[in-house]
Amino acid sequence: MADRVGIVSVGQTKYEPDRSDVNEGELAYEAIKQALEGAGLTLSDIDSAVTCSQDFWDGRTISSMNIQHVVGAHLGHEDKVAEDGANAVFCAMAQLLSGHQSVVLVVAHTKESQAERSLIENAAFDAALVRQLGLDFVSAAAMQARRYMYKYGITAEQCARVAVKNRGNAKNNPFAQEPMDITVEDVLSSKLLSSPIRRLDAKPTSDGACAMILTTEEKAKKLTKKPVWVLGVSNCYETHYLGDRDLADCGALSTAAKKAYSMAGIRNPLKEIDVAEICEEYTYQELMWMEGLGFCDRGEAVRLMDRGVTKMGGKLPVNPSGGVLSGNPVNVAGLARVAEAALQLRGEAGDRQVQGARIALAHGVTGICGQHHCVIVLGNS
Amino acid sequence: MPNRVGIVGIGQTYHAARRPDVNQAEMVAEAVRAALEDAQLSVKEIESVFTANMETFEAIYLPDHGMASEVGALGKPGFKVNTGGTTGGSVVAEGFYMVASGLFEVAMIVGFEKQDCGDTTAAISAAATPLWGKGATTGAIGEFAKQALSYMETSGATEEHAAMVRLKADRNACKNPHAHLRLGLQSIDEVLKSGYLVWPLRILDFCPQSCGACVLILASEKKAKQITKKPVWLVDVEVVHQEPFRAGVFGDPTGKETYTQHVACERLYKRNSITNVRKDIDLAEVYEPSNWEEMNLYEHFHFCEKGDGWKLVEKGITEMEGEFPVNCSGGVLATNPIGATPVIRVAEAALQIRGDAGEHQATKDIKTAIATALGGPNWTVLSLLKRSL
Amino acid sequence: MVKNVKAKKATDKEPEYIHIQIDKPRRYDWSTGKYVGHFYAEAKENKRIMGGRCPKCKEIWLPPSVICPKCKVEMGWDWVEMPQTGQVYQYTYLVFPLWDPHYGEKWANPYASAVILLDNGVFYRHRLEETDKDKLRVGMRVQAVWKEDYDERGQGPGDILYWRTIEE
Repeated sequence: MADRVGIVSVGQTKYEPDRSDVNEGELAYEAIKQALEGAGLTLSDIDSAVTCSQDFWDGRTISSMNIQHVVGAHLGHEDKVAEDGANAVFCAMAQLLSGHQSVVLVVAHTKESQAERSLIENAAFDAALVRQLGLDFVSAAAMQARRYMYKYGITAEQCARVAVKNRGNAKNNPFAQEPMDITVEDVLSSKLLSSPIRRLDAKPTSDGACAMILTTEEKAKKLTKKPVWVLGVSNCYETHYLGDRDLADCGALSTAAKKAYSMAGIRNPLKEIDVAEICEEYTYQELMWMEGLGFCDRGEAVRLMDRGVTKMGGKLPVNPSGGVLSGNPVNVAGLARVAEAALQLRGEAGDRQVQGARIALAHGVTGICGQHHCVIVLGNS
Repeated sequence: MPNRVGIVGIGQTYHAARRPDVNQAEMVAEAVRAALEDAQLSVKEIESVFTANMETFEAIYLPDHGMASEVGALGKPGFKVNTGGTTGGSVVAEGFYMVASGLFEVAMIVGFEKQDCGDTTAAISAAATPLWGKGATTGAIGEFAKQALSYMETSGATEEHAAMVRLKADRNACKNPHAHLRLGLQSIDEVLKSGYLVWPLRILDFCPQSCGACVLILASEKKAKQITKKPVWLVDVEVVHQEPFRAGVFGDPTGKETYTQHVACERLYKRNSITNVRKDIDLAEVYEPSNWEEMNLYEHFHFCEKGDGWKLVEKGITEMEGEFPVNCSGGVLATNPIGATPVIRVAEAALQIRGDAGEHQATKDIKTAIATALGGPNWTVLSLLKRSL
Repeated sequence: MVKNVKAKKATDKEPEYIHIQIDKPRRYDWSTGKYVGHFYAEAKENKRIMGGRCPKCKEIWLPPSVICPKCKVEMGWDWVEMPQTGQVYQYTYLVFPLWDPHYGEKWANPYASAVILLDNGVFYRHRLEETDKDKLRVGMRVQAVWKEDYDERGQGPGDILYWRTIEE
């Protein structure tokens, strides 16, 4: 591939529990407007749009119809990716590298407050065998958390430290929904959702949108002084049925990470990556995904965290934005991670800036117990 | 320099009204196995899998996850796209971009729908915005009825012409073992005797709801030439969406609005130096939800002048033995698993170019073909296929 | 509720398939947002039909939205009241009952759904009162009939019950 793909601007809405003042199109437009202004472009300059939303969450077949007008898709090119938002970046990258498009707008939106989460998530399970068990993603994640904790001797208290770190980080993020000053005791005494996951261990219901503009290398250099290059990207599927895999293992994430690292020329992620934004919908996931991303061996993430590696000021800060725990809707979460990573590399991350960040990692997850992962490596040189 | 993209494997299920014998994953696996066999590849050699499906029809959230193992996506990259009726067209476009960009050498495209699992009309009606649609939406069929009315009034086409299109579709479908509706219709009268669903659309005028899957395997030029002696080149794609027309959904009775079909084919033809459509292209597989729409699409895609679509039908030009065959597979009137239908159009066009369409092979030699996709509200995806680069 | 149909004894011929039927409604709580919300508010409070006008192309959009789809510019807050009379531009007449998937209701059957050309040249799609298909024709003049009860309104376009044929 001769050309590189660059992110030229990003936009996010402030994530809130209930944005009943706007509909999906208006919400997405808030983020799109920021991205357009950041790049100095108008909707007419966009060649193609890649949207990310789910029909089930929007309650409307062809949910991208809600936002056709705000992405400028009238008599234009648009495609909807029905996975987590990070995958939309992958899709945009293919369109740009193929030479067929040169300016792509990527936008993800979801209004979780509008829908019944449990019923939607329950519909992801096998209708014949598993749905009747009444599982949704929280209860499935709880099983995964139990398995992980059992296999590697991780305690709920150790998982709770992730919440303390991330929600604390969120205080520096003006977009975050739930910045909090909490202790491990606060987490452990919060309402139990599905053992061992408690309210503060889990992401809240959230409404929001995130948008970014990607272009070919040549255009990126013209549109912005600080393009963020997509150095490596890959995603991967895991098996579906929960019993078919060891839930404490995330092989799909390791596969995706390996491919993304090799594209980006990264051999030692812990050393070479300066900041990581990963999708931790529940506290235990941050630990598991760190292992899957190759930061350390399986079961060792807790030690990495306790040594202060992943906190602000550490060797590899993880989720300086507060992560998904501090409030990101489904679908938007992965794209928001890419946006935050891009802001870090542009030096525009304000109080949550990791100084001198040159290589960042963004990660998105979709599905039951992390069945589908997407890993993106970004750089600014 | 972008890679050139070849279609090296084609697989379909035998489409049917109901498939109680399989669940979604098993049904798709049939098509996947057929495509792998066609390409003489093992599932290990597939580098990525891209899926197309409208999940509201079966009420299954994240269907591509549910079939990750059966489809061969386990441990591999991929994602699902979802853009309504054009979903299958969009996924072919995405696969095209993925291989053209060099990100993958081999990509598998899967389109499927199992419509016996849900209420299709309700799901299509749910495409209307819930904030505005109350009481005014009529499902796809009401919209196509209006489109048919407009076409009748502006072009002078008669119900007999529509019946001729239906007969052609059925004649062709009866020679296509994969088609769903193979009715053995014999005469125009038979079509005209069937009852009206929504005037002027009769039961036979509208596409069925089918269960089926269609899989394509795409490869870069270098890989394609290694895999098969007869790759079919996917030369170009064009995707155009729009906001709904003010006065209609699939048809604009005012005659003032711009159609995505025009924009899409004009861009595609210009990029590929197509100036005399029926000479530069040999065959078309169009996505026609109703027979009236097929005649209208002939005009939209510049197969003929405006208002003359029904003349092509009258003169037999679009028959299998004709000068410009359209829908030798029986088209959407015979088979319509919504997520798969646009992929089937590309697959059938590719089979024609390869000369592998068996009994429903067009009489003339097909070197260049166009496959179209239609979705709500009047979105278009076009694919251009060629035998040689 | 999940209903399991028990498989009968398998015979030599076709096996009996077990079907699992799930009839659970999913609840949604859609926000109208600013623009469509204004339409809803005017309909409920004042029984008026409001359209948004694009500052660039001056076209009136119904339903209103934040961006003009054609010009791709922001619409601003320029509202125009629509006339409540018009003529039927095109219609279709349905005789089979459809489920409205958004509201879980079965629509009345038969019914006519029409594209109405309002007197100011803007199109509006809605239902007609007339259910006798022989009495329907293109060009007939119709007028909006509102739900009179204030508390029943607040459904946006649903606040208009249907469009009644007015005798010339």
